[in-house]
Amino acid sequence: MKKKINYVANYLPWLDAVAILAWGILLLKYYFSRQLGLLIHPNYFWLAIVTGILLLFLGGLKIAQLIGTKSKIVSQSSGQHVSLFPPGWGSSLLLGTAILGLTIAPSVLKSDTALKRGITESLPLTRVQPQAFRGDSKPEERSIIDWIRTLNAYPEPDAYIGEPAKVKGFVIHSPRLPNNYLLVARFVITCCAVDAYPVGLPVKLLNESQTDFPPDTWIEVEGEMISETLPETKNQDETINKRQVIIAASSVTPIKTPANPYHY
Amino acid sequence: MNQLYNAFTLFFSLLVEAMPFLLLGVLLSSALLSLMDERQLIAKLPRNPILGAIIGSCIGFAFPVCECGNVPVARRLILQGVPTSLAVGFLLAAPTINPIVIWSTSVAFPDRPEIVLLRILFSLAIAIIIGSIFSVQKDPRPLLQSMLARRLNTFISRPSPRVTQEKGKEPLPALLQSGTFLLSGEGSPIAMTETLARTPVQQQVLPNKLVQFLENIALELRELGGMLVLGSAIAAGIQVFVPRELILSLGQGTMGSILAMMVLAALVSICSTVDSFFVLSFASTFTTGSLLAFLVFGPIIDIKSVGLMLSIFRPRIIFYFFALAAQLTFIFALGYSYFG
Repeated sequence: MKKKINYVANYLPWLDAVAILAWGILLLKYYFSRQLGLLIHPNYFWLAIVTGILLLFLGGLKIAQLIGTKSKIVSQSSGQHVSLFPPGWGSSLLLGTAILGLTIAPSVLKSDTALKRGITESLPLTRVQPQAFRGDSKPEERSIIDWIRTLNAYPEPDAYIGEPAKVKGFVIHSPRLPNNYLLVARFVITCCAVDAYPVGLPVKLLNESQTDFPPDTWIEVEGEMISETLPETKNQDETINKRQVIIAASSVTPIKTPANPYHY
Repeated sequence: MNQLYNAFTLFFSLLVEAMPFLLLGVLLSSALLSLMDERQLIAKLPRNPILGAIIGSCIGFAFPVCECGNVPVARRLILQGVPTSLAVGFLLAAPTINPIVIWSTSVAFPDRPEIVLLRILFSLAIAIIIGSIFSVQKDPRPLLQSMLARRLNTFISRPSPRVTQEKGKEPLPALLQSGTFLLSGEGSPIAMTETLARTPVQQQVLPNKLVQFLENIALELRELGGMLVLGSAIAAGIQVFVPRELILSLGQGTMGSILAMMVLAALVSICSTVDSFFVLSFASTFTTGSLLAFLVFGPIIDIKSVGLMLSIFRPRIIFYFFALAAQLTFIFALGYSYFG
């Protein structure tokens, strides 16, 4: 029995070191495999990278120390902390999640999440407000988020009638929309994927129907802005008819999922 | 299956965003533990109770620890005889009023500065109010858990020889006193009283400090990291698996949303350096007042910190903390919802 305790006590510091190392590797792996953009806003990439390097360094230091002190059991810290987990649990949790993260790649958020979170055509009040009214930008160069920001600053649908539009996004089938309409949407991230919120514009298809473009297909829509009265898609229980800006599509082409699927 | 995959992605998104702040907090608190001389700081602290509560609430800036690190520090503060109001103020405010937490909150809410500001103000106000209330009790011993109270008794009844030593008088030779002593080769014998506890760190040599520094980093990373993993899993799970209608119906009522978030804060026990990322997943569905309630109440008291506080205070005192903090948080958050 005593032997077993000694064995566990000897083995626990190694578990700590390996867990720290694994997290360092995971953070750097996310960066080098370009998956970091699926998880957090690019503004905070450097935080994750620095942390990855630091963790590798600390894990290495810890291992060096363990090798140096081989048979001696390193004394645990002098009662500064009251333990929250049974011995080994915290590190096992960390190591386990790191291994999961290393084996399974993060996913791109899809239309089901968008429908669940509610697609907005206007930015929620609390979100990033337009820094300036970009009236001078060419309409056909606006991305979905540019359109939404513009609409947010000046919401009158009639003001945009006839403007050319060319946007990329993924397809959402909204249950409120008739068969020849779909939503072209993008997720916007302010901090990390947790706060990703979808913004989208309704598209009126020319000859095709919804079924030609299954949900989550990435498409490029070219067309012209019109205004029409459509059932509002945002609210769950009640349908409000609302006049809004719609892209009357002249062409819809499926495209590859962009390397950077989110807007910031 | 798809839902599970989404939850998985959100889970890692939370972890990757939070890990840097966790590591920074752990590094700083470990560095403090091995490098800083608390006694010098304590010698400069004021004795006035209200001022003490205010200063105590602000020392978090010097001790950037989250709610797992603040309990041991508060415990040491009390053992070293600082006024109760100051220790209580520190205990309640330090997890929020510190640079790392303020930074991580502003990272999570880059476009809502009012959340950052009000989180600081409300937490400060609550810590100062509760600190002042406890300042009425001058002698901390009745508040303390019995073992700690006994330790403090030894301090008060038998102060260290250095303090009793009067000018001009020969100090009583150590070996003529009763008690246990450490005989060292050079210098005088060291009494094995609790006074040893007052001088924990600074006599150590540097390599030892480095070892202690590393030890503490590993310790805090596994404890807080484990908690972070559990908390993130809960947040991602709630976001993906709980029907949106339920969350919306909970989150839209003014009072209901505040209460729901306070219960969640008490249950989830996520570290204050990273809790703003957790609450981010509710940002679009819950009222701002309720988000504030989470951010203010969580660091003050939750299941985990109650466990830790039991190592300092009697259960009744912790219940008082809990009741006072809960009511104050609720009033502040409600006030913000109506007048903000």
